[in-house]
Amino acid sequence: MASIAGQKSRLTWAVHISVALMVVLWLIPTVGLLVSSFRTTDQISQSGWWESAFPVEKAFRDRIPGEGETQADGAYVLSGNLLTDGQNARDLKPGAKIVAFGTSGIKPGAYKAGETAQTEAGTMTVNADGAYEVTSSTSFEGSGPRVYFVADMPPAFTLSNYRQVLFSDGMGQAFLNTLTVTIPATIIPILVAAFAAYALAWMEFPGRGLLIAAVVGLLVVPLQLALVPLLRLHQDVGIGQSFVGIWLAHTGFGLPLAIYLLRNYMVGLPRDIIESAKVDGATDFQIFMKIVLPLSFPALASFAIFQFLWVWNDLLVAKVFLPANDQTKVMTVKIADDLLGSRGGDWGILAAAAFVSIAVPLGVFFAMQKYLVRGLLAGSVKGG
Amino acid sequence: MTKHLMLGIAALALSAGLASAQELTFKPGSEPDRFDWASYDQFAKDNDLSGKTLTITGPWTGGDKKLFESVLAYFEAATGAKVDYSGSESFEQDIVIAAKGGTPPNIAVFPQPGLASDLAKQGYLTPMPEGTGAWIKDNYAAGQSWEDLSTYAGKDGMKQTFTFPFKADLKSLVWYVPENFKEAGYKVPETMEELKALTEQIKADGGTPWCIGLGSGAATGWPATDWVEDIMLRTQSPQTYDDWVSNALKFNDPKVVDAIKDYGWFAKTPGFAEGGEQAVATTDFRDSPKGLFDFPPKCYMHKQASFIPTFFPEGTKVGSDVNFFYFPAYEGKDLGKPVLGAGTMFGITKDSKAAEAFIKFLETPIASEIWMAQSGFLTPNKNVNLAAFANDVQRNMNKILLDATTFRFDGSDQMPGEIGTDAFWKAMVAYTTGDETAQEAADAVQKRWDSIEK
Repeated sequence: MASIAGQKSRLTWAVHISVALMVVLWLIPTVGLLVSSFRTTDQISQSGWWESAFPVEKAFRDRIPGEGETQADGAYVLSGNLLTDGQNARDLKPGAKIVAFGTSGIKPGAYKAGETAQTEAGTMTVNADGAYEVTSSTSFEGSGPRVYFVADMPPAFTLSNYRQVLFSDGMGQAFLNTLTVTIPATIIPILVAAFAAYALAWMEFPGRGLLIAAVVGLLVVPLQLALVPLLRLHQDVGIGQSFVGIWLAHTGFGLPLAIYLLRNYMVGLPRDIIESAKVDGATDFQIFMKIVLPLSFPALASFAIFQFLWVWNDLLVAKVFLPANDQTKVMTVKIADDLLGSRGGDWGILAAAAFVSIAVPLGVFFAMQKYLVRGLLAGSVKGG
Repeated sequence: MTKHLMLGIAALALSAGLASAQELTFKPGSEPDRFDWASYDQFAKDNDLSGKTLTITGPWTGGDKKLFESVLAYFEAATGAKVDYSGSESFEQDIVIAAKGGTPPNIAVFPQPGLASDLAKQGYLTPMPEGTGAWIKDNYAAGQSWEDLSTYAGKDGMKQTFTFPFKADLKSLVWYVPENFKEAGYKVPETMEELKALTEQIKADGGTPWCIGLGSGAATGWPATDWVEDIMLRTQSPQTYDDWVSNALKFNDPKVVDAIKDYGWFAKTPGFAEGGEQAVATTDFRDSPKGLFDFPPKCYMHKQASFIPTFFPEGTKVGSDVNFFYFPAYEGKDLGKPVLGAGTMFGITKDSKAAEAFIKFLETPIASEIWMAQSGFLTPNKNVNLAAFANDVQRNMNKILLDATTFRFDGSDQMPGEIGTDAFWKAMVAYTTGDETAQEAADAVQKRWDSIEK
């Protein structure tokens, strides 16, 4: 027994370690996205997110101002500080240090900081703190020499992406629009599908099998095929492009899966309960309301999560079924068309936008998760 | 709950509607030496559209959207109409769905004549007001080619002017950093022979001459089509180019294959393009020019259209930090100075009085001058005051456009969608990565073309 117990514990460890590895692997993209959301577009294109915690070396170009030369030992001298007063002062974060400098763009780091470089007419010295001294045997006459330097940049993070996503004009409106689309578009299909699923699972009528087959068949019809005909139909019956239109569209697109999922769940409920209810004189509606619906809570909750996430993230249906103006833009459309800049130039905000739009679905998921577990337990006890 | 939400939204929508009335960027009457305010006043007097609404959709988003809206503000102020513009990143798909679904805007802004021509053929476009075609011909530089671009066969097969070209992009540009050229002692090449010599010299000096990036998501490959088109214009007559675009000249003709190989000389010769051919095929076109600004420079030259400064690192000043030169023509071939460009075409997708008035508005010099005075606008319109440009850089670009002995529109944009926005792109990627030879790539495109024409 002892040896078996020992083996078991070793196996548990192996399981734990592999689970931990899987979790880490699984989380890497999300972590990368999170880190990227705090970096500017230029930073993202320069180095990977995994390097963001370390200082990076970056080359800069500057022109030493030619004014204010002094004379010493028969030479003309210019001095000052590249880090605090140079042209790149805005890009250089506090804590940046110069590691090397040079006089040509081909070798921007030809000399180590503190060394003295020989130039055509004199010398040049740049220290790690940015202080420089340039000498020349002739006057600079108001124009200083070019200098290149390589600076060690401390890790830098910014909230500007989040600021842009959260506080840009019309974002609040877009958030409300998304809720306006999502909540009814989640509730309506559940309502309809629950009734339909009960009928398909427990009511006997001719053609039931065919109906179920049709619903399964509808599952494989890509919604893209239906966009244009459906829009025309909406146009003809006078709904046009509106919130009502998009609720109906999402309801239609979500129903096959909802009915299929709920019907399969309901069919698995114990026949005894439903039959005993029938013997006691309950109508179908009573059975549905009092027995089937409470027992189906887990399935309802899981479908609600599916539908909510799908509608929340939807871009295509919103673009087609809502009018193209600022008052009806949902968040996905707003991000894709307004925030990304012309030709997608501001793509750096995408990571931040992803985290902002994840927030509500995450909240919904965790809230529903609780009901989902409770529903499962309740079902198992009562059903037995 | 929902009811409350709806109320809140209605309230917000109302307040947003009030806030959207835009201020005029330049006060009417100000700076008369730059702006033609007479044309504005005349237009305002002739058109009263109070209470009317005009909806426009187009490809401009972000900064471009703001610029276009600043022009729209003048139309609103002059006529009293309300204009709703919405830009979309996926305009090409959206407009087709909207047109077919029966919910088109009044005016659509087409980035590709090919798409406008498709919609015209299916009967979704309303012809331009009488005389627009003649107006384009008389008032645009290289007017005939612009008019041809706007003329398509309608549903009844009749050729008519269906779009109005407004806002041009210049493609035949090479971007470089003057400081890098100065330090290395390179001169801006005047002829294609010099450009090729310079390319070889930079490599001999240990540098990398070109940054080329074909990546663009689903549209990967399009920058290479610009190269091939530019080279076609420099090695073949304009007539041959037109034949190529209409497939009267087969895509796998030796003339085309040679142009593809000529592009390959720049992109595929080892050491000529940053990162080698695999990197060329995968680097995003938006990231590609950034190599110009590294120290040591990752490359010395970058060929791209006039819009690319948007993607230069923040704070880069065009004119001093970076400049451009005309992608030169072969001295040995007597073909003049051909220019490749692109432009946006305004088409009426749902006719109304306001829509027709808006096309008339685009004809006025002031409509162009307002945008010129800000940024990113080039025009072949000969009536505008070049003093309106915000800076010399744009004025010089526009001069290239006005001085062109031959102007040709981006060929891939005019080819049928399946070729110009798919087969051609893919062939260029396959050729660049070395999966196919120039001949094989051209054969593949021609085969596809044959299959759609049956």
